[in-house]
Amino acid sequence: METIGVQVDGLSKRYAHRVKGEIYAARDVRLDVRPGEFLTLLGPSGCGKTTTLRMIAGYEKPDAGRVLFGGEDVTDLPANKRNIGFVFQNYALFPHLSVFENVAYGLRVRAQANDAIAKSVGDVLALVGLAGYEQQFSAQLSGGEQQRVALARAIVIRPRVLLFDEPLSNLDAKLRVQMRQEIRDLQRRLAITTIYVTHDQEEAMAVSDRIAVMHQGSVVQEGTAEDLYHRPASRFVAQFVGRMNLVAGRVESVAGESVQIAALGTQVSARAPQRRLTPGEAVQLIVRPESVELLRGDGGPLRATVVSRTFLGEKIEYVVRCAGEELQAVRYNAGAGDLIPEGAAVCVRFAADAVTVLAEPQA
Amino acid sequence: MKGARNDPAVAAAVFVLWALLALFVIYPLAMLFARVLTDQGGFTTAGLATLLTDRHQIRAFFNSLLLALMVGTAGTVLGFLFAFTAARGRLPRWLLTIIDAAVLLPLVSPPFTTAIAMIFSFGPRGLITYDLLGLKGVTVYGLASTFSSEVLTFFPIAYLTLRPLLAAIDSNVEGMAFSLGASRWRVFRTVTLPLTIPGLANAFLLLFAASLADFATPLILAGNQFPVLPTQAYLQITGLFDLRGGAILSLALLLPALAVFLLQRYWVSRRYYVTITGKGAGHTPFDSISPTVRAVLLAACAAIALVVVYFYLLLLYASLVVALGADHAFTLRHYRVIFTDGWKAIGDTLIIAGLAMPLGGVYGILLGYLVTKKAFAGRRAMELVAMINYALPGTIVGIAYLIAFNEAPLELTGTALIIVACYVFRYGPTGIRATVALLQQIDKSLEEASQGLGAGSGATFRRVTLPLIMPAFFAGLGVVFIRSMTAISATIFLVSIGWTLITVRILENITELSLGPAAAFSVLVVAIVFAVIALIGWALRRFRAPGAMPMTSLLGG
Repeated sequence: METIGVQVDGLSKRYAHRVKGEIYAARDVRLDVRPGEFLTLLGPSGCGKTTTLRMIAGYEKPDAGRVLFGGEDVTDLPANKRNIGFVFQNYALFPHLSVFENVAYGLRVRAQANDAIAKSVGDVLALVGLAGYEQQFSAQLSGGEQQRVALARAIVIRPRVLLFDEPLSNLDAKLRVQMRQEIRDLQRRLAITTIYVTHDQEEAMAVSDRIAVMHQGSVVQEGTAEDLYHRPASRFVAQFVGRMNLVAGRVESVAGESVQIAALGTQVSARAPQRRLTPGEAVQLIVRPESVELLRGDGGPLRATVVSRTFLGEKIEYVVRCAGEELQAVRYNAGAGDLIPEGAAVCVRFAADAVTVLAEPQA
Repeated sequence: MKGARNDPAVAAAVFVLWALLALFVIYPLAMLFARVLTDQGGFTTAGLATLLTDRHQIRAFFNSLLLALMVGTAGTVLGFLFAFTAARGRLPRWLLTIIDAAVLLPLVSPPFTTAIAMIFSFGPRGLITYDLLGLKGVTVYGLASTFSSEVLTFFPIAYLTLRPLLAAIDSNVEGMAFSLGASRWRVFRTVTLPLTIPGLANAFLLLFAASLADFATPLILAGNQFPVLPTQAYLQITGLFDLRGGAILSLALLLPALAVFLLQRYWVSRRYYVTITGKGAGHTPFDSISPTVRAVLLAACAAIALVVVYFYLLLLYASLVVALGADHAFTLRHYRVIFTDGWKAIGDTLIIAGLAMPLGGVYGILLGYLVTKKAFAGRRAMELVAMINYALPGTIVGIAYLIAFNEAPLELTGTALIIVACYVFRYGPTGIRATVALLQQIDKSLEEASQGLGAGSGATFRRVTLPLIMPAFFAGLGVVFIRSMTAISATIFLVSIGWTLITVRILENITELSLGPAAAFSVLVVAIVFAVIALIGWALRRFRAPGAMPMTSLLGG
């Protein structure tokens, strides 16, 4: 089957809210998913990602906009004519059907011959590691197994597009990590264009080719995980994708890609955003905690005190006070002797190329 | 949801259902009102005025209310006792099964069974009053016996309402209160009981309505000293041939019945704190009752269950001896009588129940499905209208049918059809409610998943929705059949020379004082009903795949 792309062209959906009046669940959402690409819609609950996904699936009718599968307008096509594979958050396994019949469902609807169905179902169950589970019922399966059945049921029909609605949120943390890897491997192997919804930024970064961050019904930034992490377009994205320190400063001088900012009582060099900066302008700096280096002693310009320390095994999180501001810092645990006690005086240094000026102008 | 406009099959089904509802629910009721409010072609309230000034009838009205109030209160207490013991007593499985069976017996019995057993036990020649205590000249008839008999008959309704509610209370909530330092009694008083209050109100109203509508028990036990409305209406029609008078009396029942129905449906049922999902809550993290309390509760339940079991054993015994209280020699002659003289009643009842059962079952899921899943104008109204005959006391429905279908062009009196129609529209609503409840439990993602896999709405209904609501279909079948075997209040007005019913024959036997055949008939009905329940249970297990929702408490209606 030919791999196709998905275009979402200005999708909007309004709801009547009991308190807030009419609100947009999705507002002029535009996406261009390339053939075979794994795109994730990432955002906090209520940002419109699920609504967008359900409109792409055909479960909801948009108030405006179009959905195109491989250039074909499917906006008015009901879900059962779109040839999609949808994995629900609660899996939505048919409780009255066995694992085999659950997976066979879409093939039976397509009136395939019994032996062809048996072969396809057997193959796909083997693919998701559930060979031998054919006669079980969903109530007898663990969460992870139910998830695999839901996945098998979605891919056995060879859908044009695979859609996931927070598929891992009902699993425990370890299983979540394992399943997301399996989903990613399977998607690569089958090369099915995939749109995935999650509120978990780590999950999004682990599985996606590209991520679209949504906020209040709109896509606020689109890009690879590295783009979003290192070059967040807004404070919202910076805060939602990863953790960060936000430091107020003032532009001193601009030289090409690099700017000098007065901050924390000293001068910090930072990467410039896309827009023009003028000397004297107030800006916000973004520094990720892992880019905050802590050096013992007082041999640097930025002196700080350790306020608290959280031991997490592989890494240690510190909060330090530096020029009246609190900064978060993360250090990998190099050994018992490497720990810095609370109250210790340290020096702070920012890793080269790790400080970014927030693109959003200060309000 | 798909509208009726773009789906001709839905439009056709809606049209047919409305036509049937108009014919068998709205029309008879309208005719009843017309008969009461017109006289020789003119509008009149004279009939109502007579009712309001007749002291005897006013007494019957207040007697009915008093009895319903007492039965509602006592039955709710008893039902709660059983429900609480079953839900919190940590009883072994076998004991629960026994309690369930003992409690369900009265619900599936013909209407006179406890009444007959009361006479056998406490009558002038009663086993307890005469043989055991040696009392003479005792009179069993009156408020006390009617009350006790109705409580024993109807308290299982409260049990079935309250048990799932108590089981669904999140046990962590109680455990939390306990861990905050509350005593067990305090937890019960401040957490468990308040969470159950809407259920208690609901149970009370259901019992109130059941007692208000009960015709059989007062007919046998209330006697002359304690007239109540349903029996008065019946006597007015069959004794005095005063159809209009009976209609007026039955309408006096309408007001309290309607008030209770609306209160139960639109007020109490919306005030539940606890959602009954059918999924059992986790086990209580602490012993919510102390061993002593548990023993007391168990003893109380056992005592009441024993009374029920005693009554039924007595009935069985009475059917096997020449004359209970006089000649205790073993005989099968009563069974010979019912299988010869009574054979027509048995055959007729089985034919009518056999016809009403599939019709009522299909009617239930069809209407339940349409009003839950399809958008069409007036679907709320349809659901409400469908509930009318179910909610009204049988006496009203029976008299309304009698008036409506007595003359051309709809002359149905004397046919089996009128009885079948009465049962379908009176008991089919149980299937409607079960269907609606099940459909509301089915997550919409199941149907969406089917749709996403390429199934159209027809295939989705056939392959996903229908199998999941099969339990409701069987529940509907079961209730319609059981009630067709045991009901009397409506159909007593509809039997004829051509078609009669076992329950009516039992009544005739009692009035002729041939209690032996009456007992034999009752035993037969209980046996048939239990066989059918077993059959339905088997079908439910067969058609209910693992993981599908359990269907309990379906006989409560």
